[in-house]
Amino acid sequence: MAMRKEDTIKLVSAEGFEFVIDRKAAVVSDTLKSMLNSTGSNIRDAELGEVKLPEISTPVLEKVCEFFYWSLQFSNGIETEFDIEPEMTSDLMRAANLLHT
Amino acid sequence: MSTSKKKAFRIEPFKHKVEIDPKYAERTWKVLDEAICEIYNHNASGLSFEELYRNAYNMVLHKYGDKLYMGLVDTLSRHLKNMASTIEAAQGGLFLEELNRNWLEHNKALQMIRDILMYMDRTYVPNYNKTPVHELGLNLWRDYVVRYPKIKARLLDTLLDLVYRERSGEVINRGLMRNITKMLMDLGIDVYQEDFEKPFLEAASGFYKLESQEFIECCDCGDYLKKAERRLNEEIERVSHYLDPKSETKITAVVEREMIASHMNRLVEMENSGLVHMLIDDRYEDLGRMYSLFKRVSGGLGLVRDVMTSHLRETGRQLVTDPEKLKDPVEFVQRLLDEKDKYDKIITTAFINDKTFQNALNSSFEYFINLNPRSPEFISLFVDDKLRKGLKGVSEEDVETVLDKVMMLFRYLQEKDVFEKYYKQHLAKRLLSSKSVSDDAERSLIVKLKTECGYQFTSKLEGMFTDMKTSKDTMQGFNAVVSNADSSESPTLSVQVLTTGYWPTQSGAVCNLPAEILAVCEKFKTYYLSTHTGRRLTWQTNMGTADLKATFGKGQKHELNVSTYNMCILMFFNNVNSMTYKEIEQATEIPALDLKRSLQSLACVKGKNVLRKEPMSKDISEDDVFVFNDKFTSKFYKVKIGTVAAQKETEPEKQETRQKVEEDRKPQIEAAIVRIMKSRRVLDHNNIVSEVTKQLQSRFLPNPAVIKKRIESLIEREFLERDKNDRKVYRYLA
Repeated sequence: MAMRKEDTIKLVSAEGFEFVIDRKAAVVSDTLKSMLNSTGSNIRDAELGEVKLPEISTPVLEKVCEFFYWSLQFSNGIETEFDIEPEMTSDLMRAANLLHT
Repeated sequence: MSTSKKKAFRIEPFKHKVEIDPKYAERTWKVLDEAICEIYNHNASGLSFEELYRNAYNMVLHKYGDKLYMGLVDTLSRHLKNMASTIEAAQGGLFLEELNRNWLEHNKALQMIRDILMYMDRTYVPNYNKTPVHELGLNLWRDYVVRYPKIKARLLDTLLDLVYRERSGEVINRGLMRNITKMLMDLGIDVYQEDFEKPFLEAASGFYKLESQEFIECCDCGDYLKKAERRLNEEIERVSHYLDPKSETKITAVVEREMIASHMNRLVEMENSGLVHMLIDDRYEDLGRMYSLFKRVSGGLGLVRDVMTSHLRETGRQLVTDPEKLKDPVEFVQRLLDEKDKYDKIITTAFINDKTFQNALNSSFEYFINLNPRSPEFISLFVDDKLRKGLKGVSEEDVETVLDKVMMLFRYLQEKDVFEKYYKQHLAKRLLSSKSVSDDAERSLIVKLKTECGYQFTSKLEGMFTDMKTSKDTMQGFNAVVSNADSSESPTLSVQVLTTGYWPTQSGAVCNLPAEILAVCEKFKTYYLSTHTGRRLTWQTNMGTADLKATFGKGQKHELNVSTYNMCILMFFNNVNSMTYKEIEQATEIPALDLKRSLQSLACVKGKNVLRKEPMSKDISEDDVFVFNDKFTSKFYKVKIGTVAAQKETEPEKQETRQKVEEDRKPQIEAAIVRIMKSRRVLDHNNIVSEVTKQLQSRFLPNPAVIKKRIESLIEREFLERDKNDRKVYRYLA
């Protein structure tokens, strides 16, 4: 299923890994939302549809993307559990803080 | 995840401690500072949101939030100062545009900045009780630009000037105005109110004060009101286009105050064009306008109402006391109805059926109708006229309309019992002479009166109708009997049997009936009493009529319709040719006053003088001689002589009727007093008077002096007694 360019966002981790997710999922994060909706639409990120997150490591970023999708599912009424590994917790918290999720 | 790990779960400190030295903070800030500049210079495209966001995030995280915030304040202030000087430098008309442009830019920039600094907004700001970024931006704008002394004054002047010009008819850039006022509102409602609205209202007040002075000198009332209305609408429109909606009530209040309230009295009383003239000329549009404008001002409608009331009362008073008008009762009542119609129309059309005005109208009518004590009589005469001929050929609904209008006037009467008395008299005459145009109309009016005043009022009237019907049946029976027996030459008799209680009392006059008449009358009496034993019949000779076939000198035959008295008189001339007054009087035994009147109608009326009088004077004296007039001619075969139509009463009759009414009232008052005292047992004088008045007000307004007399009479007859301690208190005696 080919996704159109405008519907997806690319999140790039500290190590340079690229995660492609739906725009819908990305805007679960307020920060990402305002980045992408910035009125100064001449801000680069919005145009490219790509956000660099050098502060967030890859596994953490992966978990974050998972969380986005899980959150969408949850708000649609499907309640599942979201597993978090204990060691990842603090990093995850920091990422969440940054992204306002 | 293994369970063991879960048990030993604990948060480990950061694996890598991110140590930031002040230099790093300095550098980070610099990046942000530059970014803000770029934003203000429309160069945002070169920036990475994420990078800036991250930078801000880090600063706050590492406790450099203070620096970030202060830095922001600094930078923003710097930029705004620049903007302020640009704006200030703008020439003339471009001033507002420049201001507007900068404002829009500032907003855009602020938005971006806020997005970047969102983390700070969320965490640092609430923790340290700082103003959030957006609000901060607005406040700084307010302080450095709008309230910058040179700009502030100039801004206000420009705005007020534009408004003034628009009021004077120029077209201005409303969109621009809108943006500016919106800006002020965004900065805070207090900014809008202090910096703009208050001076705006003051300026408006001054403007309208002047204008209203001008107008009132040169315009008449109607024109002035038109102008005022126009200005009012203008202001409302102005608000909708470029002001805060909340200003609407305030500015309309100003206009109302200056243009209407301050000149209210002068407008209403303006010569030749004020309220009174509008009423007289039925200027509905002007009146409507005055109503809607004055409604907005406190006391406005009250003033209008008062002036209308006093004018109406004055007009009404003149109407009812004008001796000219009083000559023709029908005309009089018609004028009243016309006046009522006129004002009803005014109230419906111009005053949107305002109840308070309707009430004022009613009270005024009640006031002046009762000024003339003959009003009840006149209204009855009006009805009489309508029922005799006025409603001939009129459709049923129109009849109802007229009767309803009459009822309306009836309601205003305070002396309804006087009306009843007259109405009974007139109705009796109508029924007996069969002069009523429509039986249905008669009955319809009775029904209306019943609804209004209750059964008691109309029971006697209805009795009269019943009598007429019963008489018809009786006559049928009688005629059947008579036709069996031999009739031959006896005159045909038609009798109406009247129950005494129902019909207005007339002095039961007697006169000598001619022999032939007597015979047939006895026959009827016998017949009637055979079916209704125990009753007494008395012939009312003053109310009957007769048809005579007369042959005159040259052989002309005429049928004469005359009153019973006249018939008695004329029958004598079958045997003799002339008689003196005295002889007639003796023979007929008709009372003098009636005799004189009858003779007048027989001898002194032009074209109807079947008798000739010697001497040929108008008045009847005791020495006159009456001769049968051989030379009587008339165009018609049937000649009517002296029909008794309802006339306006002469003075003595009037006195008599009034006296009767007063007499009737006494027992009614007494009955009321007894009723009240029976239930209350003990009551003081003033309360009795008010209670009695209340009970009787649907019929008439009792005179307190009369009430007092009745009380005393009741005390004499031991229905009541005075309290031993307080002379003003009365007690009921069982």
